[in-house]
Amino acid sequence: MKFRATCLAGAAAVALCAAGPLAAQGNVDVAIIGDADTFDPMISTKDVVSIVTQHFLETLYTFDENWQVVPLLAADMPTISEDGTTYTIPLREGVSFHDGSTMDSADVAASLSRWKDVASRGMAIADQIGSIEATAPSEITITLTEPYAPLVTLLAFSNSAAVIYPEEIIAPEIKEPIGTGPYKLEAYQPDQYTQLVRFDDYTQPGEAAGERAQTPDEIRFIPVPDTNTRVEGLLSGQFDYADSLSTEAFARIEGSDVAEPVLLDAFGWPLFAVNHKKGLMTDLNIRRAVQAALPYDDMLFAAFGDEKFFQTDGALYPEGWPWHTEAATELYNINDPEKAAEYLAEAGYDGQPLRILTSRQYEFHYQMAEVAQMALEMAGFTVQLDVVDWATLAQNRDNPDLWDIYITHSPFLPEPTLTSSLFGTAREGWVNPDKEEVLERFTRETDLDARKAIYAELQEQVYGDVGMIKIGNFSAVQGKSRKLSGVVPSPWPAFWNAAKAE
Amino acid sequence: MRSYLLRRLIGMIVVIFLVLTIAFVLVRLAPGDPASLMLGPDASPEEVAALRVRLGLDQPIIAQFGSFLANALRGDLGQSLFFNQPVTTVLASRAEPTIVLALFSLLVALVIATPIGIWAAYRRGSVLDQTSITTAMLAASVPSFLTGLVFQRYLATDLGWFPASGYGGAGAGFTERMRHLILPAITLGITNSALILRFTRASMLDILGEDYVRTARAKGMTERRVVLRHALKNAGIPIITVVGLTFALLVSGAVVTERVFNLPGMGNLVVNAVLRRDYPVIQGTLIVVAALYVLVNLITDLLYLAVDKRVKY
Repeated sequence: MKFRATCLAGAAAVALCAAGPLAAQGNVDVAIIGDADTFDPMISTKDVVSIVTQHFLETLYTFDENWQVVPLLAADMPTISEDGTTYTIPLREGVSFHDGSTMDSADVAASLSRWKDVASRGMAIADQIGSIEATAPSEITITLTEPYAPLVTLLAFSNSAAVIYPEEIIAPEIKEPIGTGPYKLEAYQPDQYTQLVRFDDYTQPGEAAGERAQTPDEIRFIPVPDTNTRVEGLLSGQFDYADSLSTEAFARIEGSDVAEPVLLDAFGWPLFAVNHKKGLMTDLNIRRAVQAALPYDDMLFAAFGDEKFFQTDGALYPEGWPWHTEAATELYNINDPEKAAEYLAEAGYDGQPLRILTSRQYEFHYQMAEVAQMALEMAGFTVQLDVVDWATLAQNRDNPDLWDIYITHSPFLPEPTLTSSLFGTAREGWVNPDKEEVLERFTRETDLDARKAIYAELQEQVYGDVGMIKIGNFSAVQGKSRKLSGVVPSPWPAFWNAAKAE
Repeated sequence: MRSYLLRRLIGMIVVIFLVLTIAFVLVRLAPGDPASLMLGPDASPEEVAALRVRLGLDQPIIAQFGSFLANALRGDLGQSLFFNQPVTTVLASRAEPTIVLALFSLLVALVIATPIGIWAAYRRGSVLDQTSITTAMLAASVPSFLTGLVFQRYLATDLGWFPASGYGGAGAGFTERMRHLILPAITLGITNSALILRFTRASMLDILGEDYVRTARAKGMTERRVVLRHALKNAGIPIITVVGLTFALLVSGAVVTERVFNLPGMGNLVVNAVLRRDYPVIQGTLIVVAALYVLVNLITDLLYLAVDKRVKY
C-alpha cells in the first residue's frame, strides 16, 4: 500500500514538473560552444570570450555593420599628425563604470598601457608605441615611433581587445572585470551559465556605433559543447539563440516552427598554415607542389557538403570587402598532380613524409585533411596525417619540429594585419624580404585606396611564395528563435537589442 | 569489527594515494598545454610561456607533485586553471546533479529490474522470462547516448514534455532542477536496469532451488511469503553488490549522459577538464571518484552484515 502511494506521488511529481513553463520572459538565453574561460578579453583571442565580454566591456572604437571603425568610448575618430605618429583621441564624458566611477583619460591610458603589455595584439606593436598619455581629462595621446595605420582597427577589435577598465583595478591579472558596457556581470556558474543584467546607468554611444537599447532584462550565455544538444535546445524553445551549429542541422532548423537558421554567408576561411621555420615546407618548390596538388573544391565539398555553405574562392577576402582582389588567384585551385610532380622533381623530393597536423575538434578540418592526403599522395608525396585532440594540436603547433602543415580557420577579419600568419613573428615564421617590404608599406600607409593597392601586392606574395594556403570561403550556421529579433548576424553576435515577441 | 574498519580505512588511503599518483603523472605526460588553450589561437609563444610560469606549470613534475600533496593534506586540492575557483568549490557545485541523477536513475533501474527479475526467475522459461531476458539484452546493448538522443528529440523537442538539456539555469529552484533530471534519469535507469535485472534473476534462480525454500513450501507457506521473505532476502547479497557498483558507476561514469543532456555534473566536468588539460580538476575528480568507489564498496560489505547474519568481519 505504501509502495503504491509512493509510486502515485512520484508519478504526480513527474507530471507536475513536466507541465511547467520552459523559459522565463525578459531574458535572452544564448547557447554558446563553451564557457568563456576568462572575462578579461585583453588576454584571450578566443571568439567565445569576445561574444560574452563585449556586452559588459567596451573599447574606444568599434565597427559598424560595414566593418568601418566608428567611435564607442571615444568621442570622435582620432586626430592623426601629418607624419602619422601621433594619435589624439577625444573621450566621451560622463561615461560610468559598473562600480559607479566615471571614466576619464587616466583610466584609458592605464588600460591601453596594460593592453600593450599583456594582449597579444598589443604586444605585437609594443615596440612601435612610444607613449600613451592622458593629455587632458577627456583626451589621450598615443605617440608611435613609426607610422602604423591599423592602430585604430586594433583598438576596435573585440578579440585580444583594448577594453577600458577603471585605473584602480589595472593589474597583470584581472579576475573581476569592471567595464562600461550596457550589461554587467551578475553571476557565473562554470559550465552552467554566465548571467548578465542590464546596467541602469549606461550612457548610449554616438549614432555611428548604433543604439545599444538594453532590451532584454538579462542575457544568459549557456555553455553547450555538444552541437546536437544546441540544436535540440534551440528547436525545443529552450534557447533563443544558438551559436556554431552544424550544416547538417540547417534543413531541420529551417523546417521548424520554433526556430530558424541564421546563415553567415562567407563567414570565414579554412587555411593550411605552413611551417616556414623547419622541415619540408621551407623549400619553395615543395610549397608550390602542395599548392598545385590540392583539390580545393573537392576539399570544400567534403568538408561542407553543399555549395550553400562554401565558395571556391581564392581571393583572401571575398567580394564585398574593401580588401577583395583577384591578384594572383590563378594559382588557386590548379588541382594539377602532374605540375605538382614537376615541382617535387625540381625539389629533389626523396619521399620524406609531409606531416599534416589536424584534429577532429572541427570535423571539417579533418574532412579536408583526408581529401588533401589522397590528392597529395597522387602527386607523389608521402603524407603523414597526425590527428590529435585540440589540446595537443594547440601545443604541438608551437613546436616547428612537429609539423609541416597544420589546419586552422579564421573569420574574415576587418583588417588584414589582424591575420597573424602574415607576420614573421607568428608560429609559422613566414619571412621573405619582398613580403616584409610590402607588409611594412601596408602597415605604414594611411590612405585607404593606397592600402588596397598594396594589399593586392601582399596577396601576390601569399600566392607566389605560398606563405599560407587558403582553401576557400565557408559559411557559418547559427540559429535563432522565430520570436527573436534585433540580433545582427555576426561572428560575434550581440544581444543588447534583442527582443522577443510574445 | 573495529580492526576491520581500520584496515579498510588504511586500504582506502593507499588506493587514493596510488590513484592520485598515477593520475598526476599520466595527465602531465600526455601532450597538450592548458596555457595554449586558455590564451587562444593567436597567442604568442612568449605569452604562453609567461602563463605557464604564472600557473606553476614550468616547475619539474616532482616539485609540482610535492606541492600538490602538501596542499592536499590540508584539504586544498588547488585552483582550477580555467574556472579561477578552488577545485573543492568546483567539485561541490557538481555534487548535486551527479548524486541526485545517480539516485534517480538507480531508483528507475530498481523499479524496472527488481520485480521483473524476481518474476522472471519465479516463472523460469515462461514467455515473461524470455521476454525479460531479451529486453534486458537490448537495453544493455543500446548505448545510453543513443537512448538519450532519441528521448531528447521526441520527448523534449517534439512533444515538449521535458527540458531538452541543462540544469535549469540562473535562479532555478529545486523543482526546476529536478525536472531537468527526469529524462537523463530515465535514460540511465533503462540502461542500468539490464544488469540489475539479470543479477536479480540469476540470484533468485539459485535460491529458489535451495532445500530450505522447498522446506518452506512443504511447511505450507504462501508462495508470496516464500519468494519475498525467504528467497529474496537470501538473494540479496549479489543484488546489493551490483546495486552498489552501479551506484558508484553512475556517480563517476554518467559521462555520456551528462554530455548529451548538458548537465553540469562530475562526468561533464571531468571530460571538459581533460579536453582543457585542467590538471587540478582532473586530479580532484579522480580523488573523489576513487574515494567514492572505496566507500561504496565498504558500505556494500557492511550491508552484507544486515542481510546475512552468517557474515562476520
